[in-house]
Amino acid sequence: MIEESIANNSPNPGDPGIATETVQPRETHLKHSDASDAPAIAIAITGWILPGCGHAILRMWGRAITIFLSVGFLVYLGAGMRGNLFVPGGDDAFARLGYAADLGTGSFYYLARSLETDGPDVSHADGDYGTRFLATAGVLNLLAALHAYEAARRRKA
Amino acid sequence: MVPLQLSHFQALLLFALIISLAFGTLGRRKPIERLKYAAWSFAMFLAVGIALGWLMYPFSR
Repeated sequence: MIEESIANNSPNPGDPGIATETVQPRETHLKHSDASDAPAIAIAITGWILPGCGHAILRMWGRAITIFLSVGFLVYLGAGMRGNLFVPGGDDAFARLGYAADLGTGSFYYLARSLETDGPDVSHADGDYGTRFLATAGVLNLLAALHAYEAARRRKA
Repeated sequence: MVPLQLSHFQALLLFALIISLAFGTLGRRKPIERLKYAAWSFAMFLAVGIALGWLMYPFSR
């Protein structure tokens, strides 16, 4: 609470209507400091690198396990269906967007690369679906990392 | 790794199941609410997927 006083500059300083004027205290908005954001950002990055780890740090075990299994299973299915795992330096915007989505799986991106020993095959519907599974895994993990960030800042639980 | 060969519907089922579980877990707090939301999301994935499939059917050949 901030208390304020105002000088009575009225030509009639004895006027009780002026002298008793009260000033409502201004609401103070505490600015969120950057220092308190740092752990939340670290948790989000940890959650991105290892799916579910951000929630595990926050002791949200159910969410941590679900995210880990969901992203892991999607990556496994996507790689098993020989989906296209995009690499950096794509020719067009779609390839770059696909790479961004795939990279959303964090360390699982390299797991998918190691699983997909025969390379992608998008000449069949399976491979096309696999590409979507891999991209969805990345986007889902990014969503989970964002959720962990919000939970760490106590804006969402 | 042995390549997985799934039918269109199996792929849809697996995708809908995994994503619905994740949505339910992330989106709700109480277990019963999570289950309801996941079930609703799963049903909507299937319904919309099948409806879109039938909508595209006349143009498929």
